[in-house]
Amino acid sequence: MLRAEGVLKHYDRLRGSSNYFCALQKLDFALEPGRVTEITGRSGSGKSTLLNILAGLLRPTEGKVRLEQTDLYALPDGELSRLRNRAIGVVPQGQTGLRSLTVLENVLLPWQLYSRGHAPAARARELLERVGIADLEQVRIGELSGGEMRRMAIARALIMQPAVLLADEPTGDLDDENTAAVLRLMRDTAREGTAVLLVTHEAEAARYADAVYRMEAGALSLQAAK
Amino acid sequence: MKKSKKITAMDIVLLALCLLLPLGAAWIFPACGAHEDGSVMACHWAGRAVLGAGAAMGALAVLRLFLSSGAKLGADAALILFAGYGEMLPGTLISLCMMSTMRCHALMKPAVIVVCALIQLAAAADILLRIRRERAEKR
Amino acid sequence: MIARLSFKNLTGRPGRTAALVLLAAFLAFSIFGGSLMILSLQRGLDGLEARLGADIIVVPSSARSKFNVNDLLLQGNPGYFYMNKSYADQVAAREGVEQVSCQLYLASVSAGCCSVPVQIIGFDPATDFTILPWARETYREEIGRGDILVGSDVNVPQDGILRFYNVDCRVVAQLSKTGSSLDTAVYGNQQTIQALIAASQERGLNQYNQIETDKVVSAVLIKVKNGYDVEDVKDDINIHVRKVVAVRASHMISGIADSLAGMSRLITLFIAAVWALCLAVMAVAFAMIMNERKKEFAVLRVLGASRGRLAGLVMSEAAAVNLLGALAGIALALLAVLPFSAAIEKGLGLPFVIPDAGRVLLLAAAALGACLAAGAAVSALSAVRVSRVDPSLMIREEN
Repeated sequence: MLRAEGVLKHYDRLRGSSNYFCALQKLDFALEPGRVTEITGRSGSGKSTLLNILAGLLRPTEGKVRLEQTDLYALPDGELSRLRNRAIGVVPQGQTGLRSLTVLENVLLPWQLYSRGHAPAARARELLERVGIADLEQVRIGELSGGEMRRMAIARALIMQPAVLLADEPTGDLDDENTAAVLRLMRDTAREGTAVLLVTHEAEAARYADAVYRMEAGALSLQAAK
Repeated sequence: MKKSKKITAMDIVLLALCLLLPLGAAWIFPACGAHEDGSVMACHWAGRAVLGAGAAMGALAVLRLFLSSGAKLGADAALILFAGYGEMLPGTLISLCMMSTMRCHALMKPAVIVVCALIQLAAAADILLRIRRERAEKR
Repeated sequence: MIARLSFKNLTGRPGRTAALVLLAAFLAFSIFGGSLMILSLQRGLDGLEARLGADIIVVPSSARSKFNVNDLLLQGNPGYFYMNKSYADQVAAREGVEQVSCQLYLASVSAGCCSVPVQIIGFDPATDFTILPWARETYREEIGRGDILVGSDVNVPQDGILRFYNVDCRVVAQLSKTGSSLDTAVYGNQQTIQALIAASQERGLNQYNQIETDKVVSAVLIKVKNGYDVEDVKDDINIHVRKVVAVRASHMISGIADSLAGMSRLITLFIAAVWALCLAVMAVAFAMIMNERKKEFAVLRVLGASRGRLAGLVMSEAAAVNLLGALAGIALALLAVLPFSAAIEKGLGLPFVIPDAGRVLLLAAAALGACLAAGAAVSALSAVRVSRVDPSLMIREEN
């Protein structure tokens, strides 16, 4: 459903022996609905670069990214933004809450960008329940721990019931119990029809994944598939 | 009601305004001076009354700092009424001089009205903010 | 959504928001307050020019040694002087003189009704062309013996009676404001003033004890015929009529006009300086704040906000801050100028008349518009930068 076709990414260097740095070697990659795909690899191997490109956030040097039949990078910014908002949920690394909003308001943010009708507060609360921070809904972001903020970001990424979920280290800063809960949530989300991509170092994640890839120096290789 | 004795920015604002009234009446915007022969004009008594009312309000504003949140609401209401009285002193309750160009009309009366109005606004704002805070804490 | 998010962003950082609001308030305060001052000064001067009415004013030459004629008529310090009525006839006969009207002056003492001396001006309703048009704005009936009109700065007692030299005078009307010492004077017909002069003589309070009140005048106001040069007519009177001095009315206010022009220039410079400083600080502050929030904007891009939405968010925050600040600044300026206009007039020593409410509202609206436009211009650059934030900043691998 989300396909990368002949995608590669170069960054121009200012100095150095070669003209450019190759972050991603030419690859074809697809995310299928209902399946959890894991990409693992060392830091700096290009995992996040691929995630950026799949999310419609980083234009590849070559190649296309299609969501169903739509070429993401052929769309103007306004249309692409709306499409990403509706269909692609992203869980970024690090602390990504808006400090002036409460947890509940942060989770509802994607809906509020192009607000239509009543805010899906019930779904937001359900998601917060599933990630285990329902009691923090009125708390401001600044008062959350790293793990709590990560879980908030997961709930936020799922509020729009996206067709694709791209999660960059979703279990970072989480203890074992919460890690398992989040991975179960990823599995359940896939079961509901979403195509899920996990970029992670978490060893446990492989148990929940339908396919495991390894990224090394910008080259992607399939390790295991169910 | 919770006993919050924290001093807020609004407490400082109210204190500053309430102290401005008697200090202003004495030095910044006093009534017209006395004649050469020592006799005073009508506005002199208005100035004295403003000084007195201002001193009372200043004292209340200082006392207010040490009150609980609930008692502060009462003090705010008192300040609103006091300030209303203060506004009426120059020109309405006590006559001023004949000419509008004289200091009592040109400076004292408008200054007293402005400061008292600001006191009323600040006190009313403090009441609203405290009630809102209490409601949020109850939730 | 944008409005809601802007509101949350602004209320979430009250200190920062207050600082930006304060800058916007300075902008509005300076431009509205400054413009209001300039307009009020101009209105005062225009009103004064209209009130003077006459082209030339003739006074006894002895008056010049005792009083500054300009001061007497425009700046306060009541005074009085007299000359024989025959001089008025001589002046009226000069070539180029179209119309003359005589005035009679007196100053009250600071006793009885009044805490300060009051300028008393008597005019002849049959020939007058300066005070009557002014009086007709508020009073259309006949001004009889004992009736007086008072300037706008004279406070009339409840019973409507003012007593000078033990003579009760009935206040029939209050004149409109000129912003000069004409506002603190009292006006009556010749008979009324003659009675007051007589009363002052009886009490030994008049330095002209020997005069016959019905045979003297204090000043002769002249309207020059069309086609004649006012300067020539003035010079002619000075040469051919002895013991009097003729002064051009416009010269009496030229000093005021020069001072007003100087004051207006100063105010304009002040406004320009405040705007240059505040806009510069605002631009830097905005750029710094938006830079600090780069990550937040990147998150919004990741969540699907378009470039236009992000720019809209920045502009709406700027608009909210500028609107609040401008309203506060305008309110403060109104508070500083309107109640204290009399003090400002006295302090500046210039005629100062606040424009009517409609004009003030228009000025406020213009100031508000200017502040919003300036704020929008200042924040537009930041808005464009923010809209170009690289969302992949958020998901780039940490090295």
